[in-house]
Amino acid sequence: MKLVGIAGSVEDHSYNRTLLKFIANHFSDQVDVELLDIQDVPMFNQSDDQTEGEAVQYLKRKIEGADGVIIATPEHNHTITAALKSVIEWLSFKIHPLSGKPVMIVGASYYDQGSSRAQLNLRQILESPGVDAVVMPGNEFLLGDVKQAFDEHNNLKDDRTVSFLSETLGKFLKFVKVINTMNAKPADEGWKSEDLQASGSVPTTIKGLNMHADDWVDQATAKTNAVSGNTYVRLDCGVLTVDQLNYFLNSMPMELTFVDANNQFLYYNHQTDAKNMSASRKPSQVGNPIGDCHPKRAIPHVKQAVHILRTGKTDLFKLPVPSNGEKCDMHYYQAMHDAKGDFQGINEFVLDILPIVKYYLGLTGQKLVKDPNAKTDAVSGASAKEQTDDVSGASTDTETVPTVDDVSGASADTEAAPEEQPKVDDVSGASSNS
Amino acid sequence: MHKFIAMVGTNSTESTNRKLLQYMQSHFADQAEIELMEIKDLPMFNKPEDRQVPELAQQMADKIDAADGVIISTPEYDHSAPAVLMNALEWLSFHIHPFLDKPVMIIGASYGALGTSRAQEHLRQILDSPELRARIMPSSEFLLGHSLQAFDDEGNLTDEQKVAKLDGLFADFQTFVEITKKLKHANVANYQEVRDLDWDKL
Repeated sequence: MKLVGIAGSVEDHSYNRTLLKFIANHFSDQVDVELLDIQDVPMFNQSDDQTEGEAVQYLKRKIEGADGVIIATPEHNHTITAALKSVIEWLSFKIHPLSGKPVMIVGASYYDQGSSRAQLNLRQILESPGVDAVVMPGNEFLLGDVKQAFDEHNNLKDDRTVSFLSETLGKFLKFVKVINTMNAKPADEGWKSEDLQASGSVPTTIKGLNMHADDWVDQATAKTNAVSGNTYVRLDCGVLTVDQLNYFLNSMPMELTFVDANNQFLYYNHQTDAKNMSASRKPSQVGNPIGDCHPKRAIPHVKQAVHILRTGKTDLFKLPVPSNGEKCDMHYYQAMHDAKGDFQGINEFVLDILPIVKYYLGLTGQKLVKDPNAKTDAVSGASAKEQTDDVSGASTDTETVPTVDDVSGASADTEAAPEEQPKVDDVSGASSNS
Repeated sequence: MHKFIAMVGTNSTESTNRKLLQYMQSHFADQAEIELMEIKDLPMFNKPEDRQVPELAQQMADKIDAADGVIISTPEYDHSAPAVLMNALEWLSFHIHPFLDKPVMIIGASYGALGTSRAQEHLRQILDSPELRARIMPSSEFLLGHSLQAFDDEGNLTDEQKVAKLDGLFADFQTFVEITKKLKHANVANYQEVRDLDWDKL
């Protein structure tokens, strides 16, 4: 489960931020809490709409991607800070990312009141129709006399306080599940708007070319004056020539495919002919919208897959493509982001993990045996992906490491009865068919 | 003649709350001197460690100090007073205390039917806090709902009942200012308390 935390203060030093950091660290085995910064959010002004500005959009994106929100509020003049109120006003003016979102309120204050009035006030604000958040009732966590509350490592000193916080957070995690289940739309239809024909554009889209052309790469090169050969390119942490980049990418022990945020297939590391690839690609396909690279029946699944990566429901999902037991091809779809966290496309990498497993078994003198209690078959990854339900979709995402079930499922195929034969998933099937 | 500061509780260019205060300014011109005060140019309150309030906040505080009372007209955003108004009150209670024992009349205008009822309640709560300690006129509420339709082209309130109500409340406020002058027995103690109030020393 993923939560975001907002400290309602723009002071340089804020105990409410300290409290949220403590929650994020102390309970990191139970929940992933990311702190959001409100420092750069301007004062709300309805005559100067900055909803589209970076500071507000950042909060919107993070809140929409989270399962729930924790707000830590100080108390100024019997109420919440203007800074926090301003944030809420932006998030209830033209956009409503908090709508239906489970929220837990905590607060710290210098005095023994512990932000009691600010918390009540915040509840009232969050429940107003423009905000429409779902605040967990009861379970008030008030941290008074905050100057004495933390030790030098910024941990809460008092065990009973920690235990109460733990109890409160535990309830909130359940509350989040309940509310998100209650609010879950029968099906999130957002994926349907994924444009697999790449008819829109992103800032990097090379315009004015026929994406379907077999010589798209040549055309795009001419159009952009793209460098090649021994021209140097400055990268994040290095300088390479384009040739060196090619050596490097082509020697990766996996097939790499780059799809941009406009759903256009821009690159693959061309190691071998299509017929020898796990997910076959041809040079003439590069430049195609990804809708071209999949059979029609697979389109809805591809749309769903792209959509959950684009919307941050997950950053990585994986599909095992079971075969005859000689291989265990894994298809990984990794969302790519820029420094601001904006979605920049998908890195699809495909590799056979069976040699790795065999090597490990040989190294450690172990062997694979069938797990009599195994519930998941090898296609579980695929079917989980297809669930559009928010809660389960999100929880699947956290499992980024291939589980033993996937592996044994695949290797078990050699002796498996036909009904246990995992079906080739539509998405991965599509890429190997293309 | 009393002198009042009329605080516009919004930074919006178009505001019926500003209109309402402008109306009062001209409508009561023979009864009191009303000066409008804008709050939109104050920076976001960030509790600076050097305790410096912006020059503008100090100027506002001085004007409030010199006035007999303050009229605040508040919009309602999300069932509460706007951030920009809360912000002004944060600066005006940060090691300066112009609102202490100051008579305040709260009014508000909204596009919808409710006329800022909840924002006014919120504002009362804020003004009652230890570092503001204003003397808010009790049991009086002026709620101007459907405010976009409330004024004619000259900026006058068209609803006679509303005008009568506002006339009554304003007369009450004039009296309240006088009464408040007599409610002075705790002034010294209040000033002392606020001066001594230092969250950093808790």
